[in-house]
Amino acid sequence: MEKTTKRIVKLTVNKEIHEVAINVNRTLLEVLREELALTGAKESCGQGVCGSCTVLLDGLPVRSCLLLAVEAEGRHITTIEGLSCGEKLHPLQDAFVEHHAIQCGFCSPGMILTASAFLEKNPSPTEDEIRRALSGNICRCTGYAKIIGAVKALVDSGR
Amino acid sequence: MDKFSLIGKNMRRVDTTSKATGEAIFSADLVLPRMLVGKVLRSPHPHAKILNIDTSGAEKLPGVMAVVTAKDTCGDKWGVFRYTQDQQFLPTEKVRYVGEEVAAVSAIDEDTALEALELINVEYEKLPAVFSVEASLMPNAPIIHDAYPNNINIHVKIDVGDVEKGFQESFYVREDSFSAPEDSYFQAEPYAVVAQFDHSGNLEIWMPNAGPHLKAKPLSNVLKIPLNKVRVRKIRIGGAFGGRSEISPADTICALLARKSQRPVKIVYSREENSICTRQAHSMNATIKTGVDKEGRVIARDITCHMDGGAYSSTGPIAVSVPFLCMEQAYRMDNVRYNGYRIFTNKPIRGMFRTHGRAFACGVDLQLDMIGEHLGINPLEMRLRNARQKGDYTPTKSYVASCGMSETIQKTGEMSKWNEKWGKLPPYHGIGIGCNSVQTGFPMGIRGGSQAFIKFNEEGGITVISGVVDNGQGNDHMLIQIAAEELGLSANDVQLINADTEVTPSDPGSYSMCETFVGGNAVRLAAQDAKKKLFKYAASALKVDCSVLDARDKKIFVKDSPDQNISMSKVVRMALSRGEAISGEGSYWPKVDPKREWVENPSGQLSETFSFGTVIVEVTVDPETGQVKVLEAWASQDVGYALNPIVIEGQFEGGLAMGGQGGMLTEFHIWNDGRVLNPTQLDYKVPLAIDMPKINNIIVETIDPNGPYGAKEAGMSIAMSAAQAYCGAICNAIGVYMNDFPLTPDKILKAIEEKDTK
Repeated sequence: MEKTTKRIVKLTVNKEIHEVAINVNRTLLEVLREELALTGAKESCGQGVCGSCTVLLDGLPVRSCLLLAVEAEGRHITTIEGLSCGEKLHPLQDAFVEHHAIQCGFCSPGMILTASAFLEKNPSPTEDEIRRALSGNICRCTGYAKIIGAVKALVDSGR
Repeated sequence: MDKFSLIGKNMRRVDTTSKATGEAIFSADLVLPRMLVGKVLRSPHPHAKILNIDTSGAEKLPGVMAVVTAKDTCGDKWGVFRYTQDQQFLPTEKVRYVGEEVAAVSAIDEDTALEALELINVEYEKLPAVFSVEASLMPNAPIIHDAYPNNINIHVKIDVGDVEKGFQESFYVREDSFSAPEDSYFQAEPYAVVAQFDHSGNLEIWMPNAGPHLKAKPLSNVLKIPLNKVRVRKIRIGGAFGGRSEISPADTICALLARKSQRPVKIVYSREENSICTRQAHSMNATIKTGVDKEGRVIARDITCHMDGGAYSSTGPIAVSVPFLCMEQAYRMDNVRYNGYRIFTNKPIRGMFRTHGRAFACGVDLQLDMIGEHLGINPLEMRLRNARQKGDYTPTKSYVASCGMSETIQKTGEMSKWNEKWGKLPPYHGIGIGCNSVQTGFPMGIRGGSQAFIKFNEEGGITVISGVVDNGQGNDHMLIQIAAEELGLSANDVQLINADTEVTPSDPGSYSMCETFVGGNAVRLAAQDAKKKLFKYAASALKVDCSVLDARDKKIFVKDSPDQNISMSKVVRMALSRGEAISGEGSYWPKVDPKREWVENPSGQLSETFSFGTVIVEVTVDPETGQVKVLEAWASQDVGYALNPIVIEGQFEGGLAMGGQGGMLTEFHIWNDGRVLNPTQLDYKVPLAIDMPKINNIIVETIDPNGPYGAKEAGMSIAMSAAQAYCGAICNAIGVYMNDFPLTPDKILKAIEEKDTK
């Protein structure tokens, strides 16, 4: 197998700039997990269906398993590790814990990031809009009821 | 003051904050110094002799650190039971399904490992293969295992009462057949293993598991190293749902690669590997003959099931038995015969799945609807008349110590307004009900009990040590909640060390729904043991008798005079100053019949207690498209006592999604000659947020006499009864009883068409 040439790529992740030498065929998910030790983004389906690898690119959710790391150069990447601020949880993270929206937790980082981008765009959605917004993220444990409930509770609380 | 300070209250789980922040580490996230990537070479043939494996090309590739084949194994065949030892983790003689492990490599990176797999040359001699129960049972069918003539892997035979006489005495008898193809776990986390060996021969290994001790002992056996040198470590687990209980070939292969490389190795399965090469649920054909009296009470039942077990035994004896046992628990049936067969085919291996046997469970319930229609009795009433009651014995002689079956039926019926809806809904609008029951563990020999330790520090905080594992359902929190309640502490005062086979005592594992009942009881007993020691010192300090003391808010106080108190830390320090460290030990062995055996002796106390659940759903069906819309669901289970109600609701909702929404509408595998055509998340349809109906949770509490605080298990009766309720509701909506599940739009349209042409 022919080895691809490594390239230095400058990535802005959670407001920090990282220079990494990577093969250009590496996905953003691989680089985040393997080069930057940001393992909050998970690979579950590997084909852009389940949403477990979701990160925000300039504030919009993307499937990092389908995106080459080189394509993310010059953009602002937010991972789940960048959502909380020091010891303080993001209100959505807190709502997910409080309302038992997390069971095994494998889908949670992607789910929370998708929800946070959605609420930025639509701060007072209906329940149906929340369901639609989160339907690109698959959860096998919860039946989604408590996830929808957590987002709704946060919206209702006006935080 | 409430009876309990923590039990029975909605609590934030101790483990979920780390899962919300990305801090929680799952097996694939783990990185060790000098770690290598492991990859597995798999059989492209469903049935073939292995003539030769040439690994020399792979070994010469720069960056490859080890290649392993059957030559690196002890060659033993492994099995869960002494009579099911049929699987070599790297086979010597032949492969039996597409995807079976043949060889593996460890290399410095993934690209090198994948390249090395291509350089391994395996010579096969293809053998004829069989892909269905029918084909496998043909007289001239190829034999998959020499030790199992006719490809019959397991036959469970139960015969209680006088079935023939029961049919003769019945007012109405009918026989129906039901079928369902394989479904899958689709845990969020694909299987992953990390293993490392040190030069003293100690193995450390991390993997998703439903019982670390159930992994450690078989690993010790197949690697031929002492059990104390196998250290299965705790790691976060992304779901199990009945799977991940047995040793996986990946565990052994990863350990072999780590030993041969003398470096840590990580194997991460792709989604396709997780679907094909871990476990799937059995496909099933069930023929059910039921005789009832005029009032619809079941007099006799005769059931024959054939399950496609795939290529190896796995937990076959359990998987063949559990669908029947759940139903004999849920409904009274005095005269009953069960013949359950597990048949080998050249397909991937099947294990136990949360929704045991769709064809069987839905068949029994749907047939009750048919019988009810014939007799003019509505389905809810049919279930009430046959519901299991407290104090009964099941046909296979399990005493039922607590039972809320009838209460769950009544409550879901009332809340869903069943009586106002049944028979009165417009065309293509239906309502259905399902009932089921689940064990809280079963006889597991020396692995049947759980033990726990508690130690105090001088500030009054504790560490709980338990073998219980958390697959995502919340077992970690359950243990902490029980220990904190019992000792008057907060969850914050408790640290937990669990699911690590080096540190923790033995435990049965989480897959048989026994962890609250067995592991929870053990922790409660350990806490009570520690409390006794604390009270001895507190009593002497307060100059009272131990019997008047209680513990709460990190204080020990006199029950009738709370002002007379002493802080927990002071008591611990008092004990330390007198040369005693406060600790506790607890051990819980469920009262089951140790002589009960799945095949040889399926009689005697199976489980100390049972949960009972009912689901009702209301649906509409679009007659143009066959699409089902679920309007609302009502889920009720007798959980004994709800330790953490919000967690139980989560189990109900997740169970309904998997068993009902997925299990009855969309989930099944499709095949081409033993090849799974839909192993990916894109092609295998699990429910999405937009699909799910409003779910109303109804928790029923019967306070089990022996459960911790009366608790039993949370949610599995819902997963199973949801499939049955969905099935009944759809059949009610279209006015046709369907017998092949899941009920996909094509089948629904065909049923409507056939009905209209009649």
